Amino acid sequence: MTPEPDLREALLAAVPGLRAFAISLSGQVDKADDLVQDTLLRALSNLHRFERGTNLNAWLFTILRNLFHSEYRKRRREIEDPDGSYAGRLKVQPEQGSHLDFEDFRTALFQLPSDQREALLLVGASGFSYEEAASICHCAVGTIKSRVNRARIRLAALLNVDDVDDLGPDSMTRAALQG
Amino acid sequence: MTGDKGNKLARALPRTPSNDKLGTKAKLDSGSQKRIGDQLRAMYDELMQQPVPDRFRELLDQLDRKKEGSQ
Repeated sequence: MTPEPDLREALLAAVPGLRAFAISLSGQVDKADDLVQDTLLRALSNLHRFERGTNLNAWLFTILRNLFHSEYRKRRREIEDPDGSYAGRLKVQPEQGSHLDFEDFRTALFQLPSDQREALLLVGASGFSYEEAASICHCAVGTIKSRVNRARIRLAALLNVDDVDDLGPDSMTRAALQG
Repeated sequence: MTGDKGNKLARALPRTPSNDKLGTKAKLDSGSQKRIGDQLRAMYDELMQQPVPDRFRELLDQLDRKKEGSQ
């Protein structure tokens, strides 16, 4: 199936968003570009499955995420890293034009579990609704909401912007527990 | 005497939302949430503004031609 000119343009227009997501997921620009390329190839060979009028971006992000996770699972088996500490050590290579200001943020972002990171990226950066993000990640809307919330709390703690409400036992509770 | 006091507090206890599962219901205040969101979008915008590598444009062009030839 040949992509029509407008569809070709739409695919091209989706590339920056796909790259940003892939770089933020994988932590490596080279790997991210391979991921985007595979996503475009996969999309082109499955164009007949895409329903016109539905969200092309969400469809492409779903493909990219699936590819990332199947690749990631493979790599995890290869290097025997069941707890994902290898992924935690991955860092985004500074790109041309990138500022050091974001270095702390990136480091913190990559300390998040990958399911929380991707949920936060989809909702907080890529502009998807909770419903769209749930569909992209094949999970319930409530799961996405909870992942995003946990991701924000963890980031705030890592970046020391945490004014998280302290829900530790207050004095009244302590007094009650002591009888 | 002291026993009565303890009972009163015990009855009041279930009304306090934070007496178990410490921290699991923690929510960020809106200021922190905004700061996290701003930093995330700033980092992301920078990635979005990077020029699209030629390989993707070429890929779509090549596929156009290949498909025309083969199918």
